[in-house]
Amino acid sequence: MSTITQQNPLVEGLHDYRVADPSIMVIFGATGDLSSKKLLPAIYNLAKQRVLPPGFAVVGAAIDDLSDDAFRKHASEVISEHSRTQPIDQTVLQAFLQEAFYVKVDFGKVEDFRALQRKLDELDHSRHTGGNRIYYCATPPPTYETITEQLKAAALATGGGFHRIVVEKPFGSDLKSARELNKILQRVFHEDSVFRIDHYLGKETVQNILAFRFANSIFEPVWNSNLIDSVQITAAEEIGVELRGGYYDKAGALRDIVQNHALQLLALVAMEPPVAFDANAVRDEKVKVLRAIRLIEDAEVAHATVRGQYSKGWVLGERVVGYREEKNVAQGSLTETFAALRLFVDSWRWAGVPFYIRAGKRMPKRATELRIQFKKPPHLTFGREAAEELDPNAITLRIQPEEGISLKFGAKVPSAGVRLRSVTMDFEYATSFLVETPEAYERLLLDCMIGDPTLFTRADEVETAWKLIDPIEAAWRDDRPQLQMYESGTWGPPAAARLLQADGREWHRP
Amino acid sequence: MSLSTAPDLEWHGESVTIADVLNALNRARRSFAQVDAGDEEHPHSRNCVMTLVAVAPDAAEEKRAIKAITDISMHHPCLAIVVRDQPQVRAGRIEATVTAHPIHGPSDQPAPCEVVTLHVHGAAGSHLAALVDPLLVSGVPTYMWWLATPPFGSGELTDALRVCDALVVDSARFERPFHSFVGLAELAERSHKKLGLADLQWERLTPWRETAAQFFAPEERRGLVQGISEVGIDYAGEGRGNRIGAALMVGWLSSALGWKLEHAAAGGGGVVAAIFKAEGWRPVQVALRSMDRGQLAQGEISSLRIAGSAAGKSFSLSIQRDPQRPRPPESGEFQRLHPTGGEDDAAMEIAQRKAARHREVVVQNLESLHHTSTGEAPGESLPPQPKVVARERRRADTSDVLLTMIDIGDGEVLRHVQRVPPLDESTMLLNLLSIGARDAVYNRSLTAAAELMRAL
Repeated sequence: MSTITQQNPLVEGLHDYRVADPSIMVIFGATGDLSSKKLLPAIYNLAKQRVLPPGFAVVGAAIDDLSDDAFRKHASEVISEHSRTQPIDQTVLQAFLQEAFYVKVDFGKVEDFRALQRKLDELDHSRHTGGNRIYYCATPPPTYETITEQLKAAALATGGGFHRIVVEKPFGSDLKSARELNKILQRVFHEDSVFRIDHYLGKETVQNILAFRFANSIFEPVWNSNLIDSVQITAAEEIGVELRGGYYDKAGALRDIVQNHALQLLALVAMEPPVAFDANAVRDEKVKVLRAIRLIEDAEVAHATVRGQYSKGWVLGERVVGYREEKNVAQGSLTETFAALRLFVDSWRWAGVPFYIRAGKRMPKRATELRIQFKKPPHLTFGREAAEELDPNAITLRIQPEEGISLKFGAKVPSAGVRLRSVTMDFEYATSFLVETPEAYERLLLDCMIGDPTLFTRADEVETAWKLIDPIEAAWRDDRPQLQMYESGTWGPPAAARLLQADGREWHRP
Repeated sequence: MSLSTAPDLEWHGESVTIADVLNALNRARRSFAQVDAGDEEHPHSRNCVMTLVAVAPDAAEEKRAIKAITDISMHHPCLAIVVRDQPQVRAGRIEATVTAHPIHGPSDQPAPCEVVTLHVHGAAGSHLAALVDPLLVSGVPTYMWWLATPPFGSGELTDALRVCDALVVDSARFERPFHSFVGLAELAERSHKKLGLADLQWERLTPWRETAAQFFAPEERRGLVQGISEVGIDYAGEGRGNRIGAALMVGWLSSALGWKLEHAAAGGGGVVAAIFKAEGWRPVQVALRSMDRGQLAQGEISSLRIAGSAAGKSFSLSIQRDPQRPRPPESGEFQRLHPTGGEDDAAMEIAQRKAARHREVVVQNLESLHHTSTGEAPGESLPPQPKVVARERRRADTSDVLLTMIDIGDGEVLRHVQRVPPLDESTMLLNLLSIGARDAVYNRSLTAAAELMRAL
């Protein structure tokens, strides 16, 4: 980023000093759900913020037989329906639509990719994009291989300018499949040009974990096993599987949330300071932490993990059905909708500090947070009675909703005697700055156009995370520990509470 | 706490002291905190982003300040102090109002927004620091927004600036643009890095700066920066009007690209011709011109053209505000030179400058001729209207549209349409203050722009 600033002196001092080169973004699966609900609205909002460079164009590529105008009509409709900013600015929308094109592509036909190439060459010439291309796979993961191979066959991944590919999670379903996927992508694209999107990493609050830790001198000295008792990571959703029953029944909470989102959060909270906030420095440190996580041995899985599945119940005042009654879920399914783990990071900094992770659906509310629990003071200066209502110090990093940070500490209750109580100092993102928080997809799409992969997952991160998850999955397939049912609207099965009680701790209520 | 129980408080006092105001403010805070006890996990602390002190010269400006503050405080908890100095009213009286209302963010945790209005009578208004200092919130930045032209160089302003982190002005509203702008530049030079400076007119330039920066962003175009030979800027106004915005734009380019001012001359109709020397003694011609663009604020830029050649390739970047607006007829000569369908005023301006080069001596002399005939000080020209005017919408609105045209070598001309966001005062203030009002790029652009203005 700093290199760009030096080379283009005019970007200095702009609100976002990073400026993207003009490029063409090809969206495979342009008429699908992801493109319609997330990508096209996000690109429209980037246009509205004036961060799309002149010349930027979108080319929709899908199996549907559409003209440019028909695709523009589709784009106009989905943007109007799904854009986070309303009402739609017709000037921006119409200008954006003039920069949108469509090519019918059957992923199995190389001649369709050649037609795509001709279209892109034509646009390169008229839009001064210099051969810069971004290929966004808004398609199911099984298509990634075909698309990548066809891009190679049609010489769409070579030539002048940059060529980047964006893929969505899941990045494989286990270590073996993740390695295969990485090999396929890396056969055609350099690893620096592969952008694996985990939209959690695009959230400002997730990025702020690094700022909180490494831009302040008061937290890092206490950020170790000398003062930290334990770390809790909670990723709770109040919703069920909704329309994703088919996919979710094969994945489960461990693969869907823990392997990526939760382990990414753990890496950010536990990593060593990177030498710079650049892509490789940050991701090197994240990988080091992931590698330092102790593998849960087969014999330990039953004691260190909990798997649960929601039954019917009440959530947010509404009656909801159990998981097995959900659409596209197999009868008698044993897929977990709740996972809890106790992990240890075997490093000097974190020796002996447990990291508790829980992720689940149909919890009482949506809440993602990290809680750093500190040790109790070594001596009760004010006596046991005065400190009865005093909890240990804790820092809570709230990722969503109510994004912010709170610090819990003890204070004297105003009264004649000495009585202590915990109070909270709160920092709330929404009201602490004079700017709005950008949407994660917009941030990540812009990063991709700029070529900054810091907030994207690297191949070795993905593989290291699967190495941790595979043994747990293997034991769970043997029904160890047994799947436990929990009522919808609760914080998971009782075994989850017992996991911490066994260590003399309890879950924090978000 | 439920939203409905959040307090909405108001206190008013006449002939009061600042201590009374502080007491009222503290009562409001206590009252808010009592209701906002919160639950075990979130006993809400008082959140405050800034103290904004608005100095308003009259009732109309006070109303303007309160409107902007109300817009800002809808989303950002802050303390706002609006001071209206009424020295002509009998001395020794302060009339004060304190209001505190909750604002509701996405988290359902209301945060307080406090507005203090002070009508200060007599000489007390000249001691602004003493008035507001006891009220400031500790630990958050204090911004002083001077709604009229600040009295640059006066003891009153120096005193007021003691208590704030940054001064916010709108140079588009300066009554005597040249003198005030030079005063602002001198203040920036004197206060060095201790005082932040923010100018709403600078914020109006943001889309122009962004678009120019975008043009030179691709690696293969970065070398073009070294080949810039012409810059043309049109700005809204009659006669010389207020050309601070145009000068700041030139100051931004010249300071970022290391150009040195060689020569500058001004003529009638706001025309300015300047020659800068870039690296390698390469000359860069800069031309400014005012245009009657009633729908834009005085001094707002209406078109920018940057052109030149590098590595045997010519290029031009043309940015037009309100591109659908009919253009005045131009001479056939210019139409032939620049066949752009009448969309490129600044380009024509450059062509005009080129054609008029042989009259350079006359242009240089026009300056003294003009001032002799108008009786104005050199470089000074009063705007015909009081500063920023309300925009009148004449038709389906394109006044907020920016059309960018890129022409490089033999390639096709690329057209790109963008919308400039509504630039109301609260939005501009938020954009400026969100980066803390310590903008080194603005400061150096201000210095370079002042050098250009002084040279005219």
